[in-house]
Amino acid sequence: MSKGKKESQFLLDRRTFLKFAGVGIAGATLLGSFPFESFTLDEAMAAAAKAGETVVPTFCAMCGPAANCGVYAFTKNGRFSKVAGMKESPVNAGAVCPKGQAAPQWVYSPDRLKYPMKRVGKKGEGKFQQITWDEAIGIIADTLKQQKQKYGPESLGMLSPARRTYSDYLFRFLIAHGSPNYGHSGICAMQMGFTFHYTVGDWPRAVDYANSDLVLVWGKQPIYSGPAQDGVRAYVNAKARGAKIIAIKPTMEPDVGLADEWMPIRPGTDAALALAMLHVVVNENLIDKAFVEQWCYGYDQLKEHVQKYPPPWAEKITGIPANRIAEVARLFATTKRAGIELGNGVEHVPSSNDAIRAVAILIAITGHLDRPGGNVFGAASKMPKPNTVHLTERYTQEWVDKLVYPEFPKPFQPALEGTSSAYYGLFDSVLTEKPYPMRTIIAPGTQALASTRGSKRVVEALKKLEFYVVVDVARTADMPYADVVIPVATPYEIDHPFEVRGNWIMARNRVIEPLADNKSIFEFLCDLGVKMGYGADFWGGSMNESMNDQLKPLGMTIDELRKHPTGIKYEMIPRKYENYETVFKRKSPRISKAPFLPQGKVAIYNTSFKEAGYNPLPQWKEPPESITGTPELTKKYPLILSDYHTSSVYTASWQRNVPFLREIVPYPTVHIHPDTASARGIKDGDWVRVESPHGWIKVKAQLYPGTRPDTVMVLHGWWQGCKELGFEDYPLFDGGANVNIMYNVDPQKAFDPVVTAMSSQTLVQISKA
Amino acid sequence: MSIEYAFSFSKEKCTQCYGCEVACKSWRDGELGVSWRRVYKIWTGRYPEVKLASASVSCMHCVDPVCVKICPVQAIQKRPEDGIVVGDKSKCIGCKSCEKECPFGAPQFGAEGKMQKCDLCLSQVDLGKDPPPCVETCPTKALQVVKMETKEKKAIEQNIQKLIGSAANTR
Repeated sequence: MSKGKKESQFLLDRRTFLKFAGVGIAGATLLGSFPFESFTLDEAMAAAAKAGETVVPTFCAMCGPAANCGVYAFTKNGRFSKVAGMKESPVNAGAVCPKGQAAPQWVYSPDRLKYPMKRVGKKGEGKFQQITWDEAIGIIADTLKQQKQKYGPESLGMLSPARRTYSDYLFRFLIAHGSPNYGHSGICAMQMGFTFHYTVGDWPRAVDYANSDLVLVWGKQPIYSGPAQDGVRAYVNAKARGAKIIAIKPTMEPDVGLADEWMPIRPGTDAALALAMLHVVVNENLIDKAFVEQWCYGYDQLKEHVQKYPPPWAEKITGIPANRIAEVARLFATTKRAGIELGNGVEHVPSSNDAIRAVAILIAITGHLDRPGGNVFGAASKMPKPNTVHLTERYTQEWVDKLVYPEFPKPFQPALEGTSSAYYGLFDSVLTEKPYPMRTIIAPGTQALASTRGSKRVVEALKKLEFYVVVDVARTADMPYADVVIPVATPYEIDHPFEVRGNWIMARNRVIEPLADNKSIFEFLCDLGVKMGYGADFWGGSMNESMNDQLKPLGMTIDELRKHPTGIKYEMIPRKYENYETVFKRKSPRISKAPFLPQGKVAIYNTSFKEAGYNPLPQWKEPPESITGTPELTKKYPLILSDYHTSSVYTASWQRNVPFLREIVPYPTVHIHPDTASARGIKDGDWVRVESPHGWIKVKAQLYPGTRPDTVMVLHGWWQGCKELGFEDYPLFDGGANVNIMYNVDPQKAFDPVVTAMSSQTLVQISKA
Repeated sequence: MSIEYAFSFSKEKCTQCYGCEVACKSWRDGELGVSWRRVYKIWTGRYPEVKLASASVSCMHCVDPVCVKICPVQAIQKRPEDGIVVGDKSKCIGCKSCEKECPFGAPQFGAEGKMQKCDLCLSQVDLGKDPPPCVETCPTKALQVVKMETKEKKAIEQNIQKLIGSAANTR
């Protein structure tokens, strides 16, 4: 649709809006009871019986992490046909998002892998030969055994998917084998988890929405990840209750549409904004004095330190007017019940650790930590904790010392999830051979060429890597470089594992038999474990045994759990606030088990970081390319580029092959302000060339009124075609739509020195293609 | 004045998740290229005072449906008992007059060239008891099916028409 119309047409009259908003329920009779009862188990079974179908209660599998929506999966004549939300699930309460609704098309996609394969052509050529599971497991086991002998077990790296229930099984395999090199992405959640823990002793990521008067939603998309989940209901309900929501991010997405105010910030400058807010709060003495005195360490040093960061300084960097920065800082500090929802946006910058701790300090010193309406520590239920499959007790200092490219510095390993190297770092080691190269990399449910930045370097590593194993349900971007391909079953085709979310536990049930020669990723790891001689650590290959082991603290077996088709909900323990005494003493998971907070207080001045050789106070670091950091580049590349990691219809880099979803977002686009576009003669829907100092992509212009005029945004993860709709794959490198090629990967500039976060900001020029 | 079924929609609750649009396709075996329900982005104002709202729109089962009037072969009927507008494929000649006139983009023409659109899942669910899948799947209950007086229903029609008729709508 053309967007070049006059301004008056953008200004839809306000009365229409209000009238529209008001119309609805008054005078009308709702159908059925209110709110609408969606499917309970009985209703789902009745509906299925009426339609000659069967119904299976299980979990949705279409996003993640925390893909724990309960669904009723319907089958007709043995074919998975459709999905309804499970009313009994406390997560989604009967709702399902578009990804979940489209699940059958994902399961039956022509892109599904049907049998194990081995490479017969050159790396990258994509020529494969069908083999049996036994052969595939045999080839992998033989290779790993030989490499273990020759190079040591640490030469195996395992890439991390989004956090999954199988993540701990991946760790388990690595630990049984002897490698610390779990390759975590360095852009998702663990950076926040790490920095928050070493600043305030826990990760109070949840805002107490039900009691909050003000929420700053910062660098976060609170809707697209888990659109049918409780977080979204909390957001909408808080709004309806009259809480004020201020969104801080470069573009106006639907959540911002629902918010009260929008602070359009330049991508990658969150640390500068947070430091300037600290400047205001400190200089205007808007702190919670009693809390700071009793529970914070190093406030005086902070006071002196932030003098370098006044709002006018931050205005130049962030593009947010200085008075606006001061206003929001004051509003946050003086609103008693206020919290900050910080998102993954701050994990895609070389100033990640500093942005996160500056925000954590801001929350703490203004008295919003673990208080009503603020950022609260996690709530607990009466459910006993299932045993973990992660072999945590085997970690040693020698183990940590073997890390090839630590995601977090060695003194802080194992970190929250276990020991980890940076995802990108595993590939980097193949090329640099420093301190030693990975010899085998296994890619379970992740595609490096579409997921991590620096694809041009990753592909060189894939060409050089001795052995690459792709383990996935469908074709991936890097599959042509695989030596062995393992075709796993979707979660709709298997009956394990059980899942836990909050106070709810439920068994997964099989909806359909595996489509072809598929097994689950769990079975793959068990089979490989047994073949490697690690059978004692892999329950002799039995997933039922594994689940029974884990369920012991709950006093039940998986068969007993299965007798509760919609799972079991345990009672929640009522929330208490101000748990400083216990939380601030908490021990860290690193080898020394030293507490996260050495002084038992909020680490404003961070002695843990100082001892490890890092700055004790948060600093500002420019992205590798930016308007204020590299002004010399702005003549050729005047616009800032960054990317979204998830969208309304796609989870990260998958699902472009699902027709019902692809119809809604058919093309890769660049969100560009209408004025920025018209200055370049670009119209809505034009194919454009977006060029950075590192590469170029070809995408369609989407004129997007809710974008900063100096910033353009692209959705990450584009390469896959959709056969049913006639869409071909896009190239992975120049001229394709893979935004990962656009960024700087210079080790000195593009990475956070502490948490290895990678930059997703650069400068670009845009022209008609 | 009489009472009819109607979709009510609250833009304060819609998160633009597209669940309704895909639920419709999945539950009604939607043909590729055809969408009986569509979610729109509605932009107003100018940066930085720009606003974004949403609309989820299907056939509105209008009080005075223009499609019924325009159809040369009376293939579209409005049910007097509940106001639901239904098409009869066996009569449709595929002239697309309804498509041209409908302000909501409701009538669609797939491969077979016959008019198809939302029938409020009349054939699928017992409307007195159960909501259609688009409503059922909605995470925030922004979309509802209600019975309301025709006067009120007409006001909804007019407002949605203005919203999606704006030049700034996008998908």
